[in-house]
Amino acid sequence: MKTSRFKSIPWHIVFMVTIVILIFPIIFAIGMSFKPLEDAYNNTINFLPIHPTLENYLTFFDSMDVLKITSNTFIIASVVTFFKVITSFLAAYAFVFLEFKGKNTLYFLLISMIFIPFSITMIPNYLVISDLGLSDSIWGVILPQLADAVGIFLLRQSMKTIPTSLIEVARLDNLGHARIMKDIVLPLVKPAITSTGIWFFILSWNEYVWPVLILKTVDNYTLPLALQMYISSEGGTNFTVAMAVAVITMIIPLTLYLMFQKYIIGTFTSSGIK
Amino acid sequence: MKEIRFENVCKSYGKTEVVKNLNLTIKEGERLILLGPSGCGKSTTLRMIAGLEDITSGSLYMGDKRVNELPSGKRNVGMVFQNYALYPHMNVIQNITYGLKVQKFPKDEINLRTDAALGMLQLKGYENRLPKDLSGGQRQRVALARAVVKQSDYFLLDEPLSNLDAQLRVSARKELVKIHELYKQTFVYVTHDQVEAMTVGDRIALMYQGHLQMVDTPENVYNRPANIFTAKFIGSPPMNVIDMAFDNSNDSAYLAGQEIPLQEEWRNYIRQTGVKELAFGIRPEHITLSKTQLKNGLKGFVKYVENHGSSYGVYIDLEGNEIIAMSESNKWPPKEAIYVEPRLDKMHVFDKQTTNSIGYPTSIR
Repeated sequence: MKTSRFKSIPWHIVFMVTIVILIFPIIFAIGMSFKPLEDAYNNTINFLPIHPTLENYLTFFDSMDVLKITSNTFIIASVVTFFKVITSFLAAYAFVFLEFKGKNTLYFLLISMIFIPFSITMIPNYLVISDLGLSDSIWGVILPQLADAVGIFLLRQSMKTIPTSLIEVARLDNLGHARIMKDIVLPLVKPAITSTGIWFFILSWNEYVWPVLILKTVDNYTLPLALQMYISSEGGTNFTVAMAVAVITMIIPLTLYLMFQKYIIGTFTSSGIK
Repeated sequence: MKEIRFENVCKSYGKTEVVKNLNLTIKEGERLILLGPSGCGKSTTLRMIAGLEDITSGSLYMGDKRVNELPSGKRNVGMVFQNYALYPHMNVIQNITYGLKVQKFPKDEINLRTDAALGMLQLKGYENRLPKDLSGGQRQRVALARAVVKQSDYFLLDEPLSNLDAQLRVSARKELVKIHELYKQTFVYVTHDQVEAMTVGDRIALMYQGHLQMVDTPENVYNRPANIFTAKFIGSPPMNVIDMAFDNSNDSAYLAGQEIPLQEEWRNYIRQTGVKELAFGIRPEHITLSKTQLKNGLKGFVKYVENHGSSYGVYIDLEGNEIIAMSESNKWPPKEAIYVEPRLDKMHVFDKQTTNSIGYPTSIR
């Protein structure tokens, strides 16, 4: 016992350094968001504000419809997450429990899409969305993101751990696919669905490149676009306000993570347990 | 009519044929055991009845209907799986009643059936436990209860006892027979365990490499095996099968170069069949051993002795043929001469080429 405790010391040091590196920018951002702009340049070594102020937050609230922007971000992230989870679940179910011709080829093609960079699909997607008259609309941001190969992959991995005999028992009871999905598969892959869902939500919440292409009016902006306005060459650089926006941007994903932490960690560790 | 009939049924996965031209009728209400070593096609056969595997060619009839295309849920089949296939997120009661609820049985009926099954399988008091909080034997009983409450016409069991320990298996075996006596469904049971097959079955269908070897009562499968495979598969230790030379001119038979005085009925019978190459079969328990010369004895040498608990298995070298005989004594020093006398009223004769039994003279057994 004792030796193993000593052996783990170097690991603990590695973990501590990693945590400090990961957490430093967050602390720095929070501290900065409460500093007056001049302090931000003078007292960079102090993480915590010497003259704490809410001025940065007020500036942001005064210059933009923060509620509208937050709700835009929230609607996009929620709708995208909802549909991605549904389409991934249905596709994964078909790939695991249905037999059809060309199943493996189709799956291979689908998974290979993970490796196609966004910059390749960006232009065709943009053209389609503007032809549909959806540019400068949050629905234009949402539409191309309703399915996701990574989601299909993750849920398929999780469903593959369900013994096929469970599905066979259900078939013997004359259950249809809808019923099997709802009563048997869904409860068994719920942790995987929760964690993939959160992951989709956070990805979409932080998404920058695609919304910046589609959204033009400030009222249609999402939080990352608003943040960008304070650090771009056009808007002038106002780090402390930018950090206030960053803190606001961070609140919802962080809350979600803390709420569902158990499931997220569970998904990554459950692969070894049967 | 709740019988199951296979007519020239073949099943292949790509190029591998797992069931070859199966013709088999399972009678209404009987307990038929599908027995065979692993990979012989017995589970596939059962799954074809359940509709979980489709049929490559041939016809499967259940009742009087051809069911090749009928989906599983419409076949009125209850099935117990080897891994029990209990829904891990449902408790005992939910597992048992789920199928009935989905099929919209009246609540009273569900309660009545469930209560009877819980009582019969000693599951009272465990209703609200999840499968993970049950022992192996309890899980097996829940799986059984779930199949029982369906009160289906056909009851299929895929190695249901193979995950239980030896003691539990004996009591579960009895339970299964008891349940069947109560409901009298057509009962098809897959196992690789010959003791289970003998104790549970009304009839045994023995399969090997996709071919049906023999279908008969446990007594006949044991006493009158249809071929060498059956003879060796049933019985432990397996039957000794060694080459036999038969001289038609003077009706004498030779085993391992030594003459063996067959009964007259057998000599006549063998001559009539005209089979050229013969194999002689005798079960280890039908051999008498002695250190001194026996009247009908063959001389051999002891190789080694194996402890079987209640008796000993003596391995003997008979001119290059190894045979095993059961003995109550273990006083058989290796390398010493031993005299072996097969009980000639218990012998079997096979055609070496076809491996089929040549049959038995009418006066014998």
